[in-house]
Amino acid sequence: MTLAPPPFDPELAAALAATGQSSIATGITLDQLAVERANLAETVPTVTELATDATLRVEERTVPGAEDGPELELLVVRPRGRTDPRPVVYHTHGGGLIMGNNRYGLDPVLDFVRELDLVVVSVGYRLAPEHPFPAGTEDAYAGLRWLASDPAAVGGDGRIVLTGGSAGGSLAAALALLARDRGEVSVTGQLLMYPMLDDRNESVSARQMHGLGVWDRVSNETGWAAWLGGAAEVSPYAAPARATDLTGLPPAFLDAGSAETFRDEIVDYAQRLWAAGGDAELHVWPGAFHAFDFLAPQADLSQRARAARLHWLRRLLGD
Amino acid sequence: MQNLSRRLAALDTSAGAALDVIAYFDRLAQSRAGLEQVVRGAAVLSGVPARLDDPARRIAIRVDAAGVRTTPDGPPDPRWPSIAVCGAVLRLETDRPTGQLDGMVLERAAITVDLVIARVRGGVPARRPDCAVVELAVDPAAEPQERKRALRELGLAATDGARVVALADGDVMVDRGTRTVPGEGRRGVGPTVPAAELPRSAHEARVALRFTADGTAADPGPRVVHADDLGALVLLVAAVDAGAPPTADLRALLEAVQEVPHLLRTSTALVASVSVRAAAAELYVHHSTLQDRLDQAERVLGWSVRTTTGRARLQLVLAERLLRR
Repeated sequence: MTLAPPPFDPELAAALAATGQSSIATGITLDQLAVERANLAETVPTVTELATDATLRVEERTVPGAEDGPELELLVVRPRGRTDPRPVVYHTHGGGLIMGNNRYGLDPVLDFVRELDLVVVSVGYRLAPEHPFPAGTEDAYAGLRWLASDPAAVGGDGRIVLTGGSAGGSLAAALALLARDRGEVSVTGQLLMYPMLDDRNESVSARQMHGLGVWDRVSNETGWAAWLGGAAEVSPYAAPARATDLTGLPPAFLDAGSAETFRDEIVDYAQRLWAAGGDAELHVWPGAFHAFDFLAPQADLSQRARAARLHWLRRLLGD
Repeated sequence: MQNLSRRLAALDTSAGAALDVIAYFDRLAQSRAGLEQVVRGAAVLSGVPARLDDPARRIAIRVDAAGVRTTPDGPPDPRWPSIAVCGAVLRLETDRPTGQLDGMVLERAAITVDLVIARVRGGVPARRPDCAVVELAVDPAAEPQERKRALRELGLAATDGARVVALADGDVMVDRGTRTVPGEGRRGVGPTVPAAELPRSAHEARVALRFTADGTAADPGPRVVHADDLGALVLLVAAVDAGAPPTADLRALLEAVQEVPHLLRTSTALVASVSVRAAAAELYVHHSTLQDRLDQAERVLGWSVRTTTGRARLQLVLAERLLRR
């Protein structure tokens, strides 16, 4: 049965129309992956391009990876002109668990450097289907452990906020669970931007957005299948919505669009955080499609979504 | 996935960018966006701040290239590319030469502003319905198909009776020719014609507008003039427009006004009334007072204004004054 989706916000609908496509990153299957990766790579800024923003100090670092894993490529972005230790935002990038690198989707996150003088550390992790779970998650965790062990190496003050958009939000939520369960790293907060949390892919919103908007149910199925690699049991560290225990997690910020595949799983995750006695802030932006603030940053809704994250970070960090 | 404005900046003048601009504003209009969103679209797509000023509706919207709404700081620079729409002016705040893309952005944004104003009128003094539609309906150069579409949007069939009311600020209104003339201030009213002939009504309405006055002591005369009532007076328009020099009567009248301030009011009342007694009533003066004033007028003008020919002469020179303002 076809379910009517909520209407898109006028500005976001216009931005989407102006791309000349009726939808973005929908209907992706593994056989198109090489093309999709190449298309995405074209839009990712280089380190030199990122460094043209005079307010930022951009550097690349290689640090030891997970046991049996490769070394990790970290991108460190600091506010220029600030030398005192600052809180660090640890960023895991998006791309459906199958695409992207540590510079992908960074623009909304760089707001935290520009506006709040925070340090951003963005980690590259191994992607599916070449490397199914837990490879990428363990990479991201190894980077987090390195950061926690020596925050001063990047100008950090010891506080770490996990963040990521889409698949990166999934990894950020998973890292929060891992940090709690392994007890090696202390995390200050988790800022989950339209996170991809649930491999089951069966929600009303997933069905409503089939073939529509940005990142639909088909693309989602492809990403999850590659990430899980046919595992019989799905670990909560692979798909955080699978976690049955959400107690003892750091304060969370979650946002979603009302017109996106992930809407229902994000709302559900927030409700379960509250049910577990957790501290969580949830925003559902009306008529927003997935990754709207990244694709159309000038839209009114995008500005408000970005501002809401900054407000939450300010309160969380007491700045 | 890349943000739209950066992509457009890279494409700039290509046909692809033009299509993107059209698609953007078309979609905005379909989704019932408001004015701010349209102005933001213009700013984001052009990559420079955009602003919309409409003092009559108390609208002043400025959005910078990052999409942030701000308050306009200072008056607009006349060098900025701009487009007028429905009494409002949309501008791009840039000194760069107007490129193809800027022109396209302004044009499409203006069309969308027009639609928004047409949709959301109410609350603000909406003097007219959708201006572009009205302009199309009265434009003699419009394609017949276009005019037909415009008439349809105004709820008129080609054979329905309708007329044009021309306003002092250059705008026009269309109505079905009821007794009450819509609008306020000086208005020229065209003849009621089949709607397909509205351009003719518009032409005559604009001519009639030239015979209107503010109706004040300094500028006495009718605020509303119907083209149908002008008769042979319209011939004066052609003569004035062809460059005929002011008549000796006009020169005498304007000189006399310096000396006798009430002259214009007195003369205007006289030619508009059936008798001196009626004119006195209209001016709220005693009959004998008016007689005294007319004696004075005849002295400074040099001809009798109480004979039939004298009154006709006075009527013509008063009309000439209005046409030459």
